[in-house]
Amino acid sequence: MIETSHISKRYIIPHEKKMTAVETAIGYLKHTVTYEPFFALQDITFRVESGEAVGVMGKNGSGKTTLLKILSGIISPSEGTYSLKGSVAPFFSLGVGFHHELTARENIYLYGALLGIPRERITEREKTIFAFAGVERFRDTKLKHFSSGMVSRLAFALMIQTDSDIFLLDELFSTGDKDFVPQSLSVLEAYKNKGKTIVLASHDLDLLNRHCSRSMLLHEGRLIDFGKTEEVIQHYIKL
Amino acid sequence: MNLLRKNANMIRELAWSDFKLKYYGSFLGLLWSFLRPVFMLGILYLVFYSFFKVNVEHYVWFLLIGIVFWNFFSDATKDGMQNIVSKAHILKNINISPLIIVISSLLQSFLTFMITLIVLFLILFAFGFYPTASFFLFWFYVALTTILVLGTLLVTIPLSARFKDFGHLWDIFLQMLFWMTPIVYSESLVPASYIKWYLLNPLSRVIMDARTTILYHAFPDPKQIFITLGIVSLILLLGCVIFKRFGKTLTEEL
Repeated sequence: MIETSHISKRYIIPHEKKMTAVETAIGYLKHTVTYEPFFALQDITFRVESGEAVGVMGKNGSGKTTLLKILSGIISPSEGTYSLKGSVAPFFSLGVGFHHELTARENIYLYGALLGIPRERITEREKTIFAFAGVERFRDTKLKHFSSGMVSRLAFALMIQTDSDIFLLDELFSTGDKDFVPQSLSVLEAYKNKGKTIVLASHDLDLLNRHCSRSMLLHEGRLIDFGKTEEVIQHYIKL
Repeated sequence: MNLLRKNANMIRELAWSDFKLKYYGSFLGLLWSFLRPVFMLGILYLVFYSFFKVNVEHYVWFLLIGIVFWNFFSDATKDGMQNIVSKAHILKNINISPLIIVISSLLQSFLTFMITLIVLFLILFAFGFYPTASFFLFWFYVALTTILVLGTLLVTIPLSARFKDFGHLWDIFLQMLFWMTPIVYSESLVPASYIKWYLLNPLSRVIMDARTTILYHAFPDPKQIFITLGIVSLILLLGCVIFKRFGKTLTEEL
């Protein structure tokens, strides 16, 4: 279960005045440099039930990533509160902890540790992970010799070893090949069947339509629609 | 403390992989961590012993102990700032506390420090400095220096995330600190009117007393030990306050 109440995220952007460098410096001394608040998110309230798969759509800069980052606890909201029932696994980019100078095997232990997977569990499932990623032959190859698709697959194979209750995914399926995308989506379906909660932000409307019963639409930091995915997509297209 | 226990696996993996990345893959590997202090020793010894004729008993060892402690402090603080920047993408995508990066960075530097210390002792023993009772106190200073580094990292890391040019300032500060610490010269050369201020530098105190325990087989004055402990605790406390204040928004500043 995810519940948010009037969440806002405010950033402060300095005013661009047409001033020379000297004037800017003087401005700083006189404290005349003004700032303008910018709301990346404004007054977001919604509720997602346990076991639901919810899509998040919106144009670039509409606040999708900011929302997911707040829910995962990476950044804190300026105003408002939120509560989550269960543990959260944020999947925002594939292989963030990967290091190209380390081998695939070393990397899964490092990345696994970052995702909070115990070492023993990785040892136990090493074979499964490499098989899922389809890189069994390259266990001891340094990651810098991997193609970007292989890296993504390895990262995804590892990610799905986490035992979280809530999965937050941000535009994850853009780098896989034709076989990998369905393979990872079937994992997603399996999670749904297990009663995990999924929040999926994507520009792929077709994907959202197939996997999420409900979706929210963000526009300029505000939640302007939250309902049946099909209807929200129609709303989004007209935007 | 709870945070450390819960994330022990993460901290260990991060520190270990950083350690590996730093040293392996290069031809000389770990040897670099000894070669650098050895070359530094050679140059400083030549200049200060042969040219300036510094009059200190066991000057090579005197210098070596100073360099080993100094390198730990300067490398650990520089690596820490670099680490938080190079791990920015992790902090921005996975919900982990920046404190974990601080601790793992410290651990990785500490590992290098320990290895250089072991080599230092092997050399010292080979040259006939056998450990006496005061040797145990030496480890107390090792621990104290580590706490000092931790306190410093808790201050410098949030500042370096907030101000992009903090690294340059820190470099200048380190350069000043190097000469304000009795590494190449003995504290007895410091004029009496300055010594009160000079001895506020915790690094000076630690290096002086660590030398006393190893080279002169003596126990430092207990009163001085407590003062050192006090100064280091104060820095750690300052670090905790600053980190508590800025640690939360650190990820957004990166």
